[in-house]
Amino acid sequence: MIVCAAICPAAPLLVRDLTGAEEVAPDLRHACLAAVAELTAAKPEVIAVVGAGSRTGVWNDGAALDLARYAPGHGVANGQRPADADRMVLPAALGVGAWLLTQAGSPASRLLQAVAPDEPAGACAAIGADIAGSRERVGLLVMADGSARRGLKAPGYLDERSAGFDAEIEKAVRKGRIDALLAVDEVLARDLMAAGRPAWQVLAGALEGRKVSSEIRYCDDPFGVAYLVASLRVQGEPSTSWA
Amino acid sequence: MGEQSVLRLGKRSFSPGQLLLMAIVNRTPDSFFRPGETWDEQTAMQRARQAIAEGADIIDIGGVPAAPGQDVGVREEIRRTAGFIAAVRAAFADVVISVDTWRHEVAREACAAGADLINDSWGGWDDKLAAVAAEAGAALVCSHAGGQPPRTRPHRVSYDDVVTDVLAHTQRLAGRAVAAGVDPARIVIDPAHDFGKNTWHSLEVTRRLSELTATGWPVLVSVSNKDFVGETLDVPLPDRLAGTLATTAISAWQGARIFRAHDVVQTRQVLDMVSAIRGDAPPARAVRGLA
Repeated sequence: MIVCAAICPAAPLLVRDLTGAEEVAPDLRHACLAAVAELTAAKPEVIAVVGAGSRTGVWNDGAALDLARYAPGHGVANGQRPADADRMVLPAALGVGAWLLTQAGSPASRLLQAVAPDEPAGACAAIGADIAGSRERVGLLVMADGSARRGLKAPGYLDERSAGFDAEIEKAVRKGRIDALLAVDEVLARDLMAAGRPAWQVLAGALEGRKVSSEIRYCDDPFGVAYLVASLRVQGEPSTSWA
Repeated sequence: MGEQSVLRLGKRSFSPGQLLLMAIVNRTPDSFFRPGETWDEQTAMQRARQAIAEGADIIDIGGVPAAPGQDVGVREEIRRTAGFIAAVRAAFADVVISVDTWRHEVAREACAAGADLINDSWGGWDDKLAAVAAEAGAALVCSHAGGQPPRTRPHRVSYDDVVTDVLAHTQRLAGRAVAAGVDPARIVIDPAHDFGKNTWHSLEVTRRLSELTATGWPVLVSVSNKDFVGETLDVPLPDRLAGTLATTAISAWQGARIFRAHDVVQTRQVLDMVSAIRGDAPPARAVRGLA
């Protein structure tokens, strides 16, 4: 059963070592760390990190982000570089999520769940239901980005449809209407480079039938990608306020 | 020796990966580059202030041009430099101050006024200089000028191998300085481009600078707007910045640690760029592709 959930973007720039001398978007990083701290404070037995990967599957729970893939010369975040680098490349979404958990000092065991970009909504929801049913107390860290086409300087240039698309996601989360995420259009999400679509739908499956209240901790697009940070409190579960 | 280690200048310590910018502030009416620009003391102070703000680590203050010209005696050289050094020291407690002189009498007064480093470009012509550095606890630049007396131009100079000569002379001076009591962590060597060298020699020294850095002594290069740059590119004084910066980058890549320069902003950028390429310093801000 899900006791608490958090949504964070999967941006590698959250990892402090990757942005150089200057701290980039510290407010974003602090929001993510606060959300993860709340998740940790709910004392789940396991925290499932869900994010986009090239294929659907569960990763070794000790895997960590290989910083050298992004910044040659850097090591592995909080871990050892895997011996078989080709097979062990952890998707950025899971690696950044694992990094956040380590930063927050989370003692919970981890389940690193990658979801393929073309995984249908129904399959995503089923994965979410499985995660929710796996233990008594499960925390869920959803590493999901909105559109990467939110401006002329965005990674994917401007697509005018982005603003409306991301606003709908934010509204669903803010109002606790997580089931609405199941209706996110797969083709539109792909067009808008919204890599978070499968992870949102895993979240929807995991929280099906639960009453949820939420706190939006961050909602902005400083680099042309929609970043949403939120804490989701599941009714019936006491959760610490980190306001 | 071999490995580069910590360099001490004044109260400060610098690791091998730190590239230090030495900004030139001439207290002369007739230096070769922008002559007389900082002859006036107030203007010179403004120049020092600006250089520090722009990223200079060391202020190099000199009272005598390198080129031949009107004689400047010991007393006049002291008059031009010591008071100004004291003023810079009073204004900037932590900045490293260098005095550009070959004369031990001037060096002694300069150190008393607050200089941390004696920058002798003339190859240890005055053999009492090292003792002054030792007595003041100052750092010393041991350079190669091909045995030429101060303020003379090279005329038909030749070497079996210029780099071998530079290595032998600078290491001999460094050894002499250690014997005189100079802290080994406060000794720097300088091939002294253009000093006792034609353009081919300065290019060879630049090409093979790694042989100097391999000695383990910190290497200073003073290449800013010099004639070897002008002759290489066939450009007059105002147009030597690009050649200067190219030489700076090549020298930094080979491990030089101090860079004496007129153009602080551009040189700082070159050094910061090389540091990042070498992996000694991170980029200022990396976001591209990581959002």
